[in-house]
Amino acid sequence: MSLPELEKKPACSAGSLGNYLWSDPPKEHKWADCVHCGLCLEACPTYEQLGQEQHSPRGRVHLIKSVAEGKLKVNEVFAEPVFQCLDCRACTTACPASVDVGGLIEEARGQVRQAIPLKGLKAWTSKFFLEGLFPHHGRLSAAGSLLKFYQKSGMQKMVRKTGMINIMPNHLVDMESIMPEIKTPVRKKYKQEKVIKAKGETKRVVSILSGCIMDIMFSDINESTINVLTRNGNDVTIPQNQTCCGALHVHAGDREMGRKLAKQNIEAFKNSEKVIVNAAGCGCMMKEYPELFSDDPQWQEKAKAFSAKVEDISKFLYDTGYEIPKAELKTRITYHDACHLAHGQGIRNEPRELLIHIPGVEMIQMPNSDRCCGSAGIYNLTNPEMAGAVLESKMANVPENVEMISMGNPGCMLQMAAGVQKYGRSQKVVHTVQLLDWAYQKEEDGSGDQDGAN
Amino acid sequence: MVTKMVQINLKTKDIHISNLAKLVSGPNAILYKDEDLLAYDCDGFTIKRHLPRAVIFPKDTHEVSQIVKYCAKHNLPFLARGAGTGLSGGAIPLNNEVIISLVRMKRLLEIDLENRRAVVEPGFVNLKLTNSISDKGYYYAPDPSSQYACTIGGNVAENAGGAHCLKYGVTTNHILGLEVVLPNGDIIEIGKNGIPDAPGYDLLGLLTGSEGTLGIVTKITVRILKNPEAKQTVLAYFDKIDDGSKAVSDIISSGIVPAALEMMDKTAIEGVEAAAFPVGHPKDIEAVLLIEVDGITAGINDQINLILDVCQKRNVREVKAARDEAERGRWWANRKTGFGAMGAISPDYLVQDGVIPRSKLPEVLAKINQISEENGLRIANIFHAGDGNLHPLVLFDSRIPGETEKAIQAGSECLKACADVGGSITGEHGVGIEKKEEMRFVFHDHEIQAQTDIRDVFNPDYLLNAGKLFPAPGRCAEVKRELK
Repeated sequence: MSLPELEKKPACSAGSLGNYLWSDPPKEHKWADCVHCGLCLEACPTYEQLGQEQHSPRGRVHLIKSVAEGKLKVNEVFAEPVFQCLDCRACTTACPASVDVGGLIEEARGQVRQAIPLKGLKAWTSKFFLEGLFPHHGRLSAAGSLLKFYQKSGMQKMVRKTGMINIMPNHLVDMESIMPEIKTPVRKKYKQEKVIKAKGETKRVVSILSGCIMDIMFSDINESTINVLTRNGNDVTIPQNQTCCGALHVHAGDREMGRKLAKQNIEAFKNSEKVIVNAAGCGCMMKEYPELFSDDPQWQEKAKAFSAKVEDISKFLYDTGYEIPKAELKTRITYHDACHLAHGQGIRNEPRELLIHIPGVEMIQMPNSDRCCGSAGIYNLTNPEMAGAVLESKMANVPENVEMISMGNPGCMLQMAAGVQKYGRSQKVVHTVQLLDWAYQKEEDGSGDQDGAN
Repeated sequence: MVTKMVQINLKTKDIHISNLAKLVSGPNAILYKDEDLLAYDCDGFTIKRHLPRAVIFPKDTHEVSQIVKYCAKHNLPFLARGAGTGLSGGAIPLNNEVIISLVRMKRLLEIDLENRRAVVEPGFVNLKLTNSISDKGYYYAPDPSSQYACTIGGNVAENAGGAHCLKYGVTTNHILGLEVVLPNGDIIEIGKNGIPDAPGYDLLGLLTGSEGTLGIVTKITVRILKNPEAKQTVLAYFDKIDDGSKAVSDIISSGIVPAALEMMDKTAIEGVEAAAFPVGHPKDIEAVLLIEVDGITAGINDQINLILDVCQKRNVREVKAARDEAERGRWWANRKTGFGAMGAISPDYLVQDGVIPRSKLPEVLAKINQISEENGLRIANIFHAGDGNLHPLVLFDSRIPGETEKAIQAGSECLKACADVGGSITGEHGVGIEKKEEMRFVFHDHEIQAQTDIRDVFNPDYLLNAGKLFPAPGRCAEVKRELK
């Protein structure tokens, strides 16, 4: 039962540490903050489900530290708790010393993926989506057109009707059923316009991250984002050489690809003063770009300058001042805190303020609103069972008497919409800026297009 | 609960693990691989680490009993574990034990408001009980700082205290009944139906605080209390720690029994202000007192005024009352996360848990300061000043050779200082591994013997949680050392 004694291994590269053999290992200063007090335990959704230390934040930190100390090796048994983590950061909020568990997990995943490369179907799927699709706007756009064709041509109806859908795994069926209606990506739509002018006097010029999935699945939210920005005196640019933020890659342990995408974005937005993001996961990643360049001081400096420009749409509007809409929406809503907004960026109050000031909007608070919904990037695809269990707890907290659930992250929107469908609920799942946009539109033309998500 | 996670095929040559696995239902109900076990090599006390033989997750009393019977029959050491937030090492498997983790037994079985009691399983988290009944105007009083995560089963084992035990008492004052699996696997119920003062020996009192050496608690009936009609919370900042200490004594001797009376010294303030829940304490003061009074609305203001008077007489720099519940919540979060907050200013800490007569506070704090200087280690003080329960936090860095040993030494000296003024070596964290040798500071050999005799009645083969709570008899002479 004894563990291998402290083995001194030849370092494979300059940055290796203990049994971490590659550069960019989990950083000592991050785990040194953990004193093993355990106050993180109940904040962790996977610990709630499994009740096992290795699936708790402090347990994971303990294991990550043990590899650096040479007591453990980077193997499959180590990989399991490291990849079972949702990377939701709730532990960091609960932690008295704010231990950066998410950062440690991402760095550990980077080591795991190099020690145990993915094989077979998993490798193919990962390569296809993370390398072949998300970073390429043209291909994504084409995929979007295919999905659009699938929806419009009657094929979707046929697949559902004939039972062909039953050949898909359950969690993908859930996902298919809530796929939003595909519209034209804003990057394509505004390709010819260098600047989308503010309505009225220009107060600021801002750029937006149109995102990869966001612009295909939720281009209407991007549309709403542009509307609320221009409505509030902002000229908007969409730099065309921007790319996927890399969050999904970094979560999956592909830090090299993460760095590549980060560099491209840093360059793409180098002339922008503000980079406005409407996807919490992307915003959080982009604020953390400097973490990716701990071995590269030159790029780390650039990344720091870039990160300082990144802001979530809700906080940006709240901080710079925005016009409170005059039209009434008359709806009862609740708000879900996306992990990477609340825990990742500390943004909790601003979106709520935007929402409750829309005339006619009544907000019912959701208990445990900052508990993860299980989406966690593509976690719901890689760990469907755990994601499903986490979603079940989440849905139990959605108040019965609300018509809409508002939030600030597309991944959560898909997951929550799947939850609404699965548990026979009736709520419409919306993005915070959509509600604001609808209120403005209603004010302008007395209508208000509410055929958005869901 | 997730029904099936990664399919684990039991690949083990240890026949006992294969046999134990058959005694539990539910997914992944046994862990035995070194990588998984490593996460169980310590609890909140991280200085001593040992790997367990396995960790097993029963779902009910019957399964616990079956596991215990198997261990007893095959002479396998075993112990029970809750959330693993204990600070004295009570759940560390010194003898390669089978750890019986009770976290899956986490149901709230019954709430009986009429008789003011609730029945919970041992894995039920302390704070969840209050959260489950607060909307009806009730709460569960014992509130250890780890209450966000610690389990009530663990609280019973350690006789946990908390900030509010000054007025409301520790765990033992709130336990009405227990279901216990004895070390031979038999199931007994004591304190039946929660009727207080049952005839016969006070086994409830004996079991509560026995640190998991007499049996495994599987069901707990606790007392619940009605929320006080009103409460008021005050912060008082002192330039001199002596003044703060004397104010504590004065408040109690003025006749007030505050619900809580907490103190932090300068180093502790540095820690909590550098951590996740800062509230803006001034950095240049030597002590802050957090004082809470509660009760019927009518008397609250008089009590607060009396406290303010006392503080003024002791040269307080500033006193302020919480403006609302949110501010009160922030002050308490700042205090209750104090131990973990030390991570922000030190890689490791060792927390001690001495008790002294309140009047000796200035003297003992001076002594602790001296111990800190002599050992070259910083010591932060966060403590329940009202009942004289000190928590010196020895800050150290285990990566520096020799520093861990020095920290242990300094901690032990702090306890000696407490014992020397007529105090005790533990208020609420238990003895565990950490303070077992220090038991000799407060008990003579024959007094320890009287207690181990009782243990032998319950735990004759000494398979359950061995090596905790009492010093090993063979080492009497050696440990009877006097600290210089």
